[in-house]
Amino acid sequence: MPSLFARLIGLIALVLLLGAMMLGWAAWIYARVAADEAYDRLLVGAALQIAESVAAEPGRVTVDPPISAFEMLAMAVDDRIFYRVVDPRGETLTGQADLPSARSDTRPGREPALLDGQYRGFPVRIVTLGRFITGPDLAGWVEVTVAQTRIARLGLARDLTFKALLLVLGMSTFALIGVVIAVRRALRPLDQVEAVLKARDPKDLSPVELETPREIRPLVEAINHFLGRHSERISSMERFIADAAHQIRTPLTALAAQVELLSTETRAERQRSQISRVRERTDELGRLTGQLLSHAMVIHRREVVPLEPVDLVPLVRAALTEAVPLSLDRDIRISFRAEQPAMIVSGDRVSIREAVANVIHNAARHGAPGELSVTLSAAQSGARVTIEDDGRGIPEAFWPEVTKPFVRGPNGEASLGTGSGLGLAIAADVLSAHGGALSFAFTRGGHFVVELQFPGLHAGPDLEAYSSIHDAAGPESWPKRAFPASRRRKKRAP
Amino acid sequence: MMKSGPAMINLAHRKGALAGHFLRMGLFCAAILACCTRSHAQETTTVFPAPAGERHILILHGATDLEAFEPLLRGFQRIAPDVTIRYTEAVTNALFDKARRDCAEKRAGADLLVTSSVDHLVVLSNEGCARQHRSIETASSPAWTRWRDEVFGFTFEPAVIVYNRALVPKADVPNTRIELINLMREQPDRYSGRIGAYDIALSGIGYLFATFDGRNALVYGRLIEGFGRMRLVTRCCTSDLVRELSEGKISIGYNLLGSYALAAQRKGAPIGIVVPRDYVLALSRAAMIPAESPNPVLARRFLDFLLSPAGQKIIREDAFFFDFSGRLPEGVEGPPALMEAGIVRPIVIGPGLLPVQDNARRRRALDEWRRSIELAPSAATRD
Repeated sequence: MPSLFARLIGLIALVLLLGAMMLGWAAWIYARVAADEAYDRLLVGAALQIAESVAAEPGRVTVDPPISAFEMLAMAVDDRIFYRVVDPRGETLTGQADLPSARSDTRPGREPALLDGQYRGFPVRIVTLGRFITGPDLAGWVEVTVAQTRIARLGLARDLTFKALLLVLGMSTFALIGVVIAVRRALRPLDQVEAVLKARDPKDLSPVELETPREIRPLVEAINHFLGRHSERISSMERFIADAAHQIRTPLTALAAQVELLSTETRAERQRSQISRVRERTDELGRLTGQLLSHAMVIHRREVVPLEPVDLVPLVRAALTEAVPLSLDRDIRISFRAEQPAMIVSGDRVSIREAVANVIHNAARHGAPGELSVTLSAAQSGARVTIEDDGRGIPEAFWPEVTKPFVRGPNGEASLGTGSGLGLAIAADVLSAHGGALSFAFTRGGHFVVELQFPGLHAGPDLEAYSSIHDAAGPESWPKRAFPASRRRKKRAP
Repeated sequence: MMKSGPAMINLAHRKGALAGHFLRMGLFCAAILACCTRSHAQETTTVFPAPAGERHILILHGATDLEAFEPLLRGFQRIAPDVTIRYTEAVTNALFDKARRDCAEKRAGADLLVTSSVDHLVVLSNEGCARQHRSIETASSPAWTRWRDEVFGFTFEPAVIVYNRALVPKADVPNTRIELINLMREQPDRYSGRIGAYDIALSGIGYLFATFDGRNALVYGRLIEGFGRMRLVTRCCTSDLVRELSEGKISIGYNLLGSYALAAQRKGAPIGIVVPRDYVLALSRAAMIPAESPNPVLARRFLDFLLSPAGQKIIREDAFFFDFSGRLPEGVEGPPALMEAGIVRPIVIGPGLLPVQDNARRRRALDEWRRSIELAPSAATRD
């Protein structure tokens, strides 16, 4: 890629060259007009002098072309001269009888007519003018035509154009030199930015402090913004790693202790119960690891994956079927309801699914003694996924806290102590990445509700087509389905 | 010239060139005869064989006396000894008509035209009948002697007043036109029928001089009027006028070519030559290469020779006696340096000469001339 300097100079040079060419062309046109004007005066003057020399005598018209007229035309040193004088009867009095008139109409007149033409193969300028004479027996218009080759005109026009071009080229060169200096100076702040960044310690992620022109400021701000985000990410990663290490270490220590107990336990019954404890710990550890990775993945995708049209209905249904654990120690009623056959939002399919699955999982594991319902509804500007259960829920005081990583709700801690504390954090992260929101509520019946609010459906043409297909399939409200958790794999198609 | 040995051979007798001295003498006489009767539109072709074996032929058509032109031809053959020169002499009008015909029909004629009627050459050049030539020599000649790099003047020939020393007393010698007018008025008896000039109907040079004299209308009108009263003697050519002046048939000749008069004076003719002090018309005999020239390279070489210092030296010393410097040669009365005196009115070779040959103009000018010359005496007698 050519340098900024070369690009600017190249472009300006091109503009200047084009300008010079246009000016040169204009100068040529103007010079030709000017040359014609100058020499036309001589030509008309000569024709007038010849016309003046016409006299009516008894029985004839005489003409005496004055030498001075031709000497005047000889100002155009190298040009040939042709002339013709025609008397009122149309007979050529003198000169070249085949010289054409410059007058297109045959009507004679005093006013000189000028024309560019060819005579005997020479390009010529022709002037024709008339003089009315009255003699004793003859009256009428005498027509005088004088033609001169264009050598001097062309010479003058060339000379004028050449001088104008010299001037234009001189000015252009001057301008170009000025531009080179100006561009050099204008680009200097960029060199400064470069120097400051180069001189920086790699670990220094503080904002660049530099006085710059207005045009460069966005660049510096972008660099600072990038540095800020970078340092934020690095610190959040550092924090996450520290937290994750801490979180994993605790169950690992517990697991090690239990394995230790198991190795010394001799009673078969106790051994069995110990083994089941070990398995639980292992499960918990596996889930914790999975969620840590899932959280990392969500954060990663938020940065890199572009949003696309996503239909929430099949997505949420699939998340529901996956999220409810295969083995629960109790039977719960699970229901799924979508207000519309298709609900399109723009988002990242994988992240949304992870979010929804985490919320449902949380509800199933920590809430819902007997009932869990998932509802998709259209909000005023977007879509809403509502997960409702009949558990105790999270007390309102904890709501701001529970969406932070590694903070457990009171149920999680109280009931089983197996929560990683990451589920709601993941869901909240995903929603904030989509411009939506995660919120909590209690229904009047005392059920706990988690709401995932997705922002407006983008009404692009693709999405319209997408939704219209589903509309055709059947817009009616879906039947409420309830099925036991242990056999929830049955899927209902509309 | 007779002593220098005749080397001219009439073309018709070229094969007889071997016939020896006597034959050559005879032919030379024939050539002189032809020269003197050239006003009757005869063409004479003279061949100058190449001194060192003929390899090229240069065809010249000229309206210049061979006597004046020969030194130049010989001078050229000294630097180009392998060139045979065929010089065809004709009167100016015949030369012009033939060149114009050749041009119109695109027929190869002469390699170079040389004539004192420069207006003819300007007309030919204007009509596209000439070839351009540029060289150091052409660039160094005065600007007024060149047009379009096609017509080149190579001599400087003032129009002078010539008088017979025996017939015109020193006090009567006119130094200006006004003095001539006064002389005619004051001594009509003495000079009546004894003033000569060109017949402008027959002489191209005479017509040209009259045209440019006519631009000074007031003086010229009185001059013509005086000529009319004096019963002007008109002749076709300079040589006739000069001869009659030296023989005493006429006393004063007006506007004669200075070069011819000077040549006659140097041969012993009892004539005086005066360059008018009011103004002097100057003609430059000119050459032109026709567009259809068979050998333009040789023509250019000859043209360059005419304009070169060597050629100009011959012109000054042997042929035309005046040159562009305007230095007055011995035997001529007038201001010693014509150019410095500012009285030279050159007949500028250029478009200004185009109307000179204009038919309507010429008819009118001749009518006026004849009326002045022929009607004036009757008016005078009425007085």
